[in-house]
This record gives sequence, C-alpha cells and structure tokens, in this order.
Amino acid sequence: MNRDDYRILSKRFGTRDGHKLPVYEAQGGYGALRRALGESDPATVTETVKASGLRGRGGAGFPAGVKWGFVPKDAETVYFMVNADESEPGTFKDRFLLDYDPHAVIEGAAISSYAVNACLCVIYIRGEFGWLVDRVQTAVDEAYAAGYLGRDILGSGYGLDMIVHKGAGAYICGEETGLINSVTGRKGQPLIKPPFPAVSGFLGKPTIVNNVETVAAVPWILNEGAQAWIDLGTEKSTGTKLFSVSGPVRNPGVHEIPMGLAFRDFFNDWLGGMAEGEELKAVIMGGSSVPVLTAEEAMNTRLDYESLQEAGTMLGSGGMIVIPARCDMVELIQVLMHFYWDESCGQCTPCREGTGWLHRIVRKLRRGEGTLEDIDLLGRVCEGMAGLTICPLADAAVMPMESFLQRFRPEFEALVHEGRPERPDSRWAREIRS
Amino acid sequence: MVKLTIDGREMEFAEGTSLFDACREARGEALPHFCYHPDLPIAGVCRLCQVEIEGMPKLTIACNTTVRDGMVVHTRSERVRKAARQILEMHLINHPVDCPICDQAGECGLQDQYMEYGLYESSVEKDEKVHKAKAQVIGPHVILDKERCVLCSRCVRFCDHVTGTSELGIFNRGDRAEIGIAPGKDLNNPYSLNTVDICPVGALTSRDFRFKKRVWLLKGTPSVCPGCATGCNVRIDHEADRIYRLKPLYNAEVNGRWMCDRGRLEYRQVHAESRLTEPLVADGDERHAVEWPELWERLASLDRGGLAVASPGQTLEELVLFARLGAVLCGEGKVCGGPTEAGRGEGDDLLISGDRTPNRRSLAWLGLEEPAGADLVARAGGTVIVYGGDPVAEAPGFAEAAAHGTLVYLGTHRNATCEAARIVVPMSAWAEKDGIFANKAGRLQAVRRAVARPGEAREDWRFLADWLGRVTDEPQPAGLPELRRLVSETVPDVAGVDLNALPATGAVPVPAGSGGEA
Repeated sequence: MNRDDYRILSKRFGTRDGHKLPVYEAQGGYGALRRALGESDPATVTETVKASGLRGRGGAGFPAGVKWGFVPKDAETVYFMVNADESEPGTFKDRFLLDYDPHAVIEGAAISSYAVNACLCVIYIRGEFGWLVDRVQTAVDEAYAAGYLGRDILGSGYGLDMIVHKGAGAYICGEETGLINSVTGRKGQPLIKPPFPAVSGFLGKPTIVNNVETVAAVPWILNEGAQAWIDLGTEKSTGTKLFSVSGPVRNPGVHEIPMGLAFRDFFNDWLGGMAEGEELKAVIMGGSSVPVLTAEEAMNTRLDYESLQEAGTMLGSGGMIVIPARCDMVELIQVLMHFYWDESCGQCTPCREGTGWLHRIVRKLRRGEGTLEDIDLLGRVCEGMAGLTICPLADAAVMPMESFLQRFRPEFEALVHEGRPERPDSRWAREIRS
Repeated sequence: MVKLTIDGREMEFAEGTSLFDACREARGEALPHFCYHPDLPIAGVCRLCQVEIEGMPKLTIACNTTVRDGMVVHTRSERVRKAARQILEMHLINHPVDCPICDQAGECGLQDQYMEYGLYESSVEKDEKVHKAKAQVIGPHVILDKERCVLCSRCVRFCDHVTGTSELGIFNRGDRAEIGIAPGKDLNNPYSLNTVDICPVGALTSRDFRFKKRVWLLKGTPSVCPGCATGCNVRIDHEADRIYRLKPLYNAEVNGRWMCDRGRLEYRQVHAESRLTEPLVADGDERHAVEWPELWERLASLDRGGLAVASPGQTLEELVLFARLGAVLCGEGKVCGGPTEAGRGEGDDLLISGDRTPNRRSLAWLGLEEPAGADLVARAGGTVIVYGGDPVAEAPGFAEAAAHGTLVYLGTHRNATCEAARIVVPMSAWAEKDGIFANKAGRLQAVRRAVARPGEAREDWRFLADWLGRVTDEPQPAGLPELRRLVSETVPDVAGVDLNALPATGAVPVPAGSGGEA
C-alpha cells in the first residue's frame, strides 16, 4: 500500500476549504450519518464499532464500543462528550482534526451520540485552542443549517443538540470526569469512581466521553465496515493512528500510520530520520506521560498498543517526542516535572504533594545542590504516588520520572559529582527558579 | 447479607455497607483516614484508607467501596502498611510541624497516624517546604492556618451539605491549593465551630479555645447542652474546676455529631462575673451578704401564701421538689412556670429550637402552667419565690407587684429579678450539678457535675429538700438516687423509666397504655 492509502483521518489535512461543509459533503461526508439513521439502529452501530476494535485515542486505549455498552439500557437521558482538551505535552493531532476536518468530528460525534441515544453532545475544546472553538462552532452551525443536527435529523425522528464548550486551561480537564465537572461549571477535578460516567456523569446522567480522533474514525468504519478497519492494523490494535511528532527529525508534524508499523520504518521512511547533525538519543512514544525509550529500545519496537507495552512504554495519545543526543535529560525531566506540578488539581494528597516534591528535588539536582540520596529519594517519592490516586495524573508524572531515572541515571549522578550543568540558566531553569 | 473476609476473619454485613465501616468493625479500629466522615459525602481524596482486595491489581480506598459477597480484604498487609506510610509522609512533607504552638496537638490525626505508621526521619528540610498563610480569621469563631491543612475538604463539605451555606472552598490547584472563604462571605453560619471539630488537624481552630489549654490536661464529662429544647449531647472539657470548651457528643436520636455555636459557647455563663456566690438579704434599702444560718432564719420568717414561679431551666428533680415546696409555702395551685414569653427565639430546621430552654417539657409533666406575663403579674403577691429565670425582666410590672410582699430569688446569676429580690439564694449552674432535662421530644437526658460550685452556692436539690424538711414533717430523700425514685413514683409521665440508669443516649418515656417499651 502507498503511504497515502493510510490517510483516513488525515485525508483532508491540507485540502483547500476541507473544513467547509460543501467540500466535506462532496467527498461523501455525512453519508455515514444518513445511513446510520436511515438504515441502522443504535445497537447495530455500537456492534459495528465494537467489532472494529476501535480503541480510545485519548491515551488509555479503552475499546470505544465496549465503553458505549456500559450505558444502562433503560437510561432515558444520555449525554455524549467529545474530549478536545488535547493537553498532553507532545500531542497535537486532535487540533489538526478540528482545524482541517471539523465535519468529520461532528459527523462521528453525531453517529456516536446516536449509538448511545444521547440527546446532547458537548465538544469540549481546551481554552488555548481559541481559534478552533470558532472553527468548530462555524462547522456546527453549518451542520445545523443542513439538518445534520437539531430536531428530527434527516427525517429519522432522532434529535441531537451539539454545544461547543471552551475550557479554561487545565490539563486535568482532559480526564473525563474532570471534563464533566468543568462542563458542569465546577472546578475541573476528577471524580471518584465508582460511579463511572457511563452510569452517572454529567448532571448525574449516563455520559460517554470520547476523544476527537476516536469519534472521527467512526464515519469511516461505518462506511467501509469493521473488517476494513481491522485489516489496517494488528490484532489488538486495529486501524490507523495519528502520531504528532516533534523533535529534530526531517519531517515532524502529524502522520497517519497503520498500527503495527515498525518504529524503525516510521522513523526512517516517514520522518526521514534525524535532521542534519542530530543524533537520536531517546523517544517518548505517546505523550509526555509515558515512559521514555532509549534509541535502541525504540528501534526494536513497533507502533501499536501491545508492542509498546512489551517495550515498557505506552502508545498513549501518539504524541511522539524525538529526543536528540544534545538534549540534557535532567533538564527535560525538570520541564516535565514542572508541568505536572503545575497541573496537578491538588485533590489527592499523593499527587498534590508528590508532584511538587519531585519538581523540587529535580530542581535541586539541576542547581548542583543535590546528593545521591536525592536521586534515590526521587524513586521513593514515585512509589508513594503511583496507583494511589483518583485519576492517573500522578502516574503520568511518575512514569516519565521513573523511566528517566532507570535509563539515564548517569546524567543525574553527573550533576551530583560535577555540579551545575553547562547551561544551568537555560530558559527553563530561569523560569523554574521562582 | 453479604459475606466477606477481612484480615482472615469471615464476617457478614448488610448489603450496601461501606467497606470502611466493615473494616472498622473487623479491626476494632478505623483505617487511617482524614477525609472520610460518616455524616458527609465521600470525597476520597486523602487516599489513606487503602486496602488490598484480592483479585484487584491496585490498592483500593475503602471509603468509596461497598462490601461485595466473597470479597477477600487485607488491611494489615505489608503492602497496605507501606502505602499508608508513604501517603502519610506526603501529608507531612509540607506540614509546618508547629505542634508546640498548635491547639490540635494531642488530638491530631497527623500525630496519631505518625505514631502508628510513620516514625521515620524526615526527608524534607524545613526551608524546602511550601509555605502558606497562617492565623487567618475567617469568621467570628474560627481561625484558619492554611499551612497545617491537609485539604481533606471536610469543612467545605460540611458547609455545602450540612448547613448549605457554602462559605468555604478550595482555591488554586496542586500544592498551592488552599482552603479559603468565598468572596464576600464570612464563616458565620450558626454551626461554624463544627468545622473545628471535624478538622482532623490544626488548620481550623476555635478562636474561643485558642491557646487556652493543652487538650491532654482536660477531663471530659458527658452532659447535655442547656441552650435550647433540642438538648444536644455534649462533652464538657474542664480542668481545675474551669470549663474550657464544649464538644458535641454523638447521639443519633438528638444531634448526630453536631451542635450550634451558641450552645457551644453557653459554658461561658458558668464562669461569668455575674455569678451569685453568697446569700444576700435586704434590710430596708440595703442588701448585704449573710451566712447560711441567718439566711435560714430569714426564710423561716417568710409569710405563708403567695406565688412560686419555676423556670424551665431547672432539672426535673429540682422542679419536683420546688413544686412541693411552693405548694407548702405559697399554697396549693400557687405554683407555676412563666412567663410563657420567656426563652423564645428563632429556631431552624437543623438543631436550634425556638424554645431556648432545656426542660420546658418537665414543667408540663408536673402540671405547672406558664401564664403570660400580664397574668403572672396579676398573680404575684405575698411571698413570691422565683426559682431561676428572670420574670422581672420578662414580665413588665412583676417587680412592682412582688414588692407588696417579699420577693425571694433562687438563682445563679445577677439579673433584674435578683436586683428586685429581698432574699437571694445562690444556686448551681447546669455544669455544677447532676440532674435530668427532658428535651422537646420528651427525651430524658442527664446533665452531670463537671466543676465545683462557686463560693457559697448550694446544690439545688439539697437546698430545696433541706427547706422542705424545715417546713414540713415529710421525710426528705437522702441522696439523688432516692430523689429520682421518688420522681418516677410521683410523675406519671416518666413512670416506667429508671431515672437512675438512663442510657447514654437518654430515654423517651412511653405514655401509659401505648403498650410499647421505653
């Protein structure tokens, strides 16, 4: 297959006016919605998505159809939410979808809402994506005008309202219960589970939250069939996946690849290898929260859920950060620890206190004031955070921290033995010293 | 019923039981916790009550888990203890550890749990800690120390769900998160001091109690709040005959775990400057202190006939004796309560009763009506004996009417009635004596002596029995148990209740003929 044959979700990336309804319709847009409403029923749509093996693209990789199946059958009011709070450092795929192909997201969201019999769909867009709020709202208005949203869609009797909601700028609102709290008007903090949102979410009603990329894949799956999607990937990782690649490679940006592609091939053929004069040191495969891999580990793995798990990391959101040899790993982890410290919602003690503690210890090491005991302490603090909190933010801080320690410990020790690094006053070091 | 195994013990619990409660029963003590509170919604944020449930990969918090059939739970495994220790350490890394100047020291969750799970060397230097504001006044009764706070959110949930006033919130995020007051508000709801009780650390302290006493020096005496007809159960915390604070005692039938601020500060009256400490008699316009023998002489020379007025602030036993005494001295049918306007205020639907007296029900049981003020004034004449209360202040014209005869006041504080009286006998306040109040639901609850009486003040029932013994041939009870037996026999409404063995939560007498059990 040609590389362009895998462009399913990214089909309209770069297409002139691809975000506008006429172009989308001309390419067959809203056909899947029309067929789902006209010829199918919610249970069949759910079954098709379940059969396709489509897994949640936000990071956790939970099978979407299975999640939909958790909605109680007798529920009268159900809500559907599209998680466009894309905040994971290194991740910028959803933003491309919203920017270049908002109608695919809207169509997917409408079909998904139909599958769970939702009466209201909220597209929750992170506050920093201000211009995308306008773009998606314009597309929603077009869809309403064309009868794809609102009462009695396409004469089917099914009605759906769609609201575009702008977040206020918190990483944690990307966690589904934090997102629901935020939409409700409460502080964006995750809720304890049980109850799970599929049973009791927004306003206490069953609520399904799916990632942008997940819902964007739904129309194609309904058009081409579950088997076509399965054929694209591996047994447990079906379909294609968007990877947003940053770092000094020749072709950074958003790439859509079939699941199971060898990283080596992706790196060499799609990314074109490292930029002139750069050497590969490490790769963060799926957003800043997943364990880092060394260049060697990366080169021996494949890009799908199970291969990456076997390699000791995760596919996550597909936010791939390619790290060059010149990068100071302790500085990099300082940036990340600053991020998680800043973004912890502060609810659960291990995360609230632990993220700050990790950040302070790393900063101390970077100042050349740390000891070998401090390096051990980092590991101990991680132990006191992992798996002990309401939501996975604590784990999201622990996984990079532990993997950096495990794979790049000499760089931490060098700071103890040799004192301050060569460039202690980099932008981050200055900003963080406050 | 649901069968599960906790720490190797197979136990049965009702469906829907919280695993936290089940573990408490199995262990004989609660799991470590800060945020869990039985009367508040689950928050699940302190993360301390982690337990190991077989078949689940991660530890689970017990407070948000419901018991399930066949569950195998471990609460004392190495893994659980290690997690508790690590999470406790997280609670402490930014804690100021200013126990020497903290009122909570001695009853602090952090201290208790450090002794149980901690006992490690600190890995954090004092100057690396996150600092926050200290000693912020957030309301008339409560002071906030943000540094000591563990952000368990109990106080926030209390104001959201119990009082519904929502003054408090958690502001900011991460380790900058802190408890704060909503803009434009004060923590001034009538129940604000309960937030101090439920604060597991020294973050919220009582402005009234602050820096007054080390808690381990205090002795606790269970009693009942005299502030209104609800009769909240309290613990009187005292040392060296001085009361330092009241704390609510749990009574599911009466006040749950709460009490109002007004009742809580009621103890200050006990030590008020205005307490009566010696008998006073008037000669002409002059009033002076006398010794007891002279007082008895004066009392013996009182004219018979008049009016005896009892206050609903006195105990059941005292009212029984006083009713008899009044009948003897003032005449049958010349004993009453009143005025009926006394002790009325605004109530609410939580705990505060509009009846601000603790024992009005007993007056009714004894058949003592409460005439309105004008009616009371009309009846006053001859020897007027007022026992408690302040009818002179509450019934205009009462002093003038009583001035035609002799006004005798048996009371605890200087007030208008005391000022108008020719004879004043100093009595005991509610915390200085044993007795029984009947609350608005008729529940009989015991107040207990916690501190000594001031000066020459007498224990009320002994004084009344003594007086009765001097004016009648009737044998008088030698002790309180005997008096209580007498009360059971003479007051039909409490017949069937053993007043000498009231349960800790009190007892409601069952009306004769209803066939139920008391």
